[in-house]
Amino acid sequence: MMKELTLEMAIKALEAAERWARDVARIPCSTAIVDKAGALIAVHRMDGAAMATTDIAIEKAWSAVAFKIPTLMMSRWLDPRNVGELLGDHALGMVGRGKGRLCFIPGGIPITNDDGEVIGGIGNSGIPSATGDISDTSVSQAGISALYDA
Amino acid sequence: MGVTLDIAKKMLLAGRGKARTLGILCSIAIVDENGWLVGLHRMDGVPIATVDIARDKAWTAVAFKLPTSDVSRFGDPSTPGFGLNSQNWNDRLTTIPGGLPVKDADQVIGGVGVSGGTLEQDVVVCQATMAVVDG
Repeated sequence: MMKELTLEMAIKALEAAERWARDVARIPCSTAIVDKAGALIAVHRMDGAAMATTDIAIEKAWSAVAFKIPTLMMSRWLDPRNVGELLGDHALGMVGRGKGRLCFIPGGIPITNDDGEVIGGIGNSGIPSATGDISDTSVSQAGISALYDA
Repeated sequence: MGVTLDIAKKMLLAGRGKARTLGILCSIAIVDENGWLVGLHRMDGVPIATVDIARDKAWTAVAFKLPTSDVSRFGDPSTPGFGLNSQNWNDRLTTIPGGLPVKDADQVIGGVGVSGGTLEQDVVVCQATMAVVDG
């Protein structure tokens, strides 16, 4: 059903993410949607969210598409307990790559179509730290869920 | 008080409507009174470079509190502020038309930048977004 991300779908996801951030997390934040090449489709910054969050949200979405995995998984590569375990000792060499755009902070998730192909990504920034179910990743998940509602 | 997300969304909607009327595709960026992005939409099929151009136009409009096309007047040696247009502040400054400051009465509360059509069309889309603020 979903072949390619359109602006209309991106806005739908952003609205859902914003609703969740406002009503459940109760924290203002920024959410961004990029296409399958990592190019920005849309970004929204909620009132009161820090000004840097838009750019971080965009980088998270880009990074999720670039590696086709959630940035939460990428953050584990750099966890001192995992260095040398998941990717070998060179994991730290990834920091600063991708023309400085690679972001290893949780909150970015790739968006896949019915065939499992990555057609875009969503990124969220502004939730101070993961406390229980409240995190940048959970806001992004709320946004993605809206895309799969029939 | 700067542009809120609510106002930005209405402006983006108005801008997209105008772009459709004109038969063009474009990116539209809305920034707050400090030049920071509040909302940005890229219509389907628009070249991706327009994203950054629209954002830069909006930033420039707020930074100078002038339409981006007016920033080029600083290229005239007889103008006070001569040369401001050639300093690439923040790597963002642009003198391409298509960026306008958003004003509430006399106060600059944000900026809008459009890229994708001809320069004239970009300005028309910018002006269409203003209708939201002007009421």
